[in-house]
Amino acid sequence: MNSYSRDHALVKRCLSGERQALEEMVGLYEKPVYNAAYRILGNPDDAADATQVVFLKTFEHLGQYDPKYKLFSWIYRIAVNESINQLKRGRKQQPLDDQEVAGTRSPEAALAADDLSREIQGGLMDLKEDYRTVIVLRHFSECSYSQISEILQIPEKTVKSRLYSARQLMKETLQARGVH
Amino acid sequence: MLKERTIFLINADIDGELPADDKKELEVILASSDEARAMKAELLRLNNLLDSVPDQSPPADLSEQILSQLAPPPRTGGFSLAGLFSSFQPASAGLAFAAGLLLTVGFYELSPNHQSAGDTASMVGTMVASQPGIPQLLENDMFLKGDGFSGTVSLRENEGIYVLSFDLDSDNSTEIEVGLDRTGLSFGGFAETQGDRDEVVDSVAISGGTLRVVNQGRQQFAVFLRENGPEKDIDAASITIAFTSDVGQRKYGVPESQ
Repeated sequence: MNSYSRDHALVKRCLSGERQALEEMVGLYEKPVYNAAYRILGNPDDAADATQVVFLKTFEHLGQYDPKYKLFSWIYRIAVNESINQLKRGRKQQPLDDQEVAGTRSPEAALAADDLSREIQGGLMDLKEDYRTVIVLRHFSECSYSQISEILQIPEKTVKSRLYSARQLMKETLQARGVH
Repeated sequence: MLKERTIFLINADIDGELPADDKKELEVILASSDEARAMKAELLRLNNLLDSVPDQSPPADLSEQILSQLAPPPRTGGFSLAGLFSSFQPASAGLAFAAGLLLTVGFYELSPNHQSAGDTASMVGTMVASQPGIPQLLENDMFLKGDGFSGTVSLRENEGIYVLSFDLDSDNSTEIEVGLDRTGLSFGGFAETQGDRDEVVDSVAISGGTLRVVNQGRQQFAVFLRENGPEKDIDAASITIAFTSDVGQRKYGVPESQ
């Protein structure tokens, strides 16, 4: 079964009200949606709020899902739009806070890595939303040009030029922060 | 100053999206240009930096919170199939078949608290009881069985979106009419979920508050209904559904209101 068939089958099961299918969909996409929202919004609380709204909207509009697109792209499109809408609604933007998990690294390494993460997130937040979004989709969500094109509904050519400009700006903002 | 083409090639190469032919072109440029090599090195450094940022873990209870919002709370009132289909009546005394089919229309409310002898006394045909583990979203099912015609219709609601799901099998072309007068609902969409042919249902049309679907053979489709507005009272029990066969122009059943 290819990914389109799998997506379609999962959507059908969700539409039929199968609880396990809802859980599968949330399990599959919760983390990537949260991460994308976090990188666009810049703080964990807003990312969690956005993720909840994304899934509510996804299920609310599941009947409109067009199986010619990947489910992944469709959900990401909702995630990007919701995150940008939250930004426009003027939610506070607080780059990385203490909830950044250090994991199993040594305290020194964790501190250095957290500082770096904080600066990179700060650099992202310095970018305009259009540029930030393509950087997030390419580098944090690991989307291809064609996937980004599908998610943002812009031509692939525009994806490339926007991404190249975004990288240049990101490089400059990180340099200004003493990172790059 | 690097040419735009060179910048394009370097970026695409770093993204792993450079076709083989273009890769050769880039190799030639890199071999002869310090500036191009420097740009590639800078972009690689930026890539490595971005890739070094760890993924964020969502809050541990986030998925639970999401799922809890997707499952509607248990109903204490509202609509039921008993109410929904109680208005089904034969079209007229002359349509004997209609009455016959009416008797084979069964509904079963999943909530045992609402089941009464009156709900089932006049029914003949297939009755399917609630099964353990049945999804919470599935609230009400109607089971149909008649001569050359059978299937189920289920009504579900979640967050103000109502879905009427049809799974029908008819030997002859059958028109299904869904009426929303006085329900506070309007049609929000139509989706064919499965058919035994490669084509969609024979036709779908909306006129005023009525949706007409013409169907033959095995078809599964869903009709999405949305609330007309938060200020409107919703009366899903006033939804009407009629099935009309093209055999002899006889009506299987029509709601009282029509």
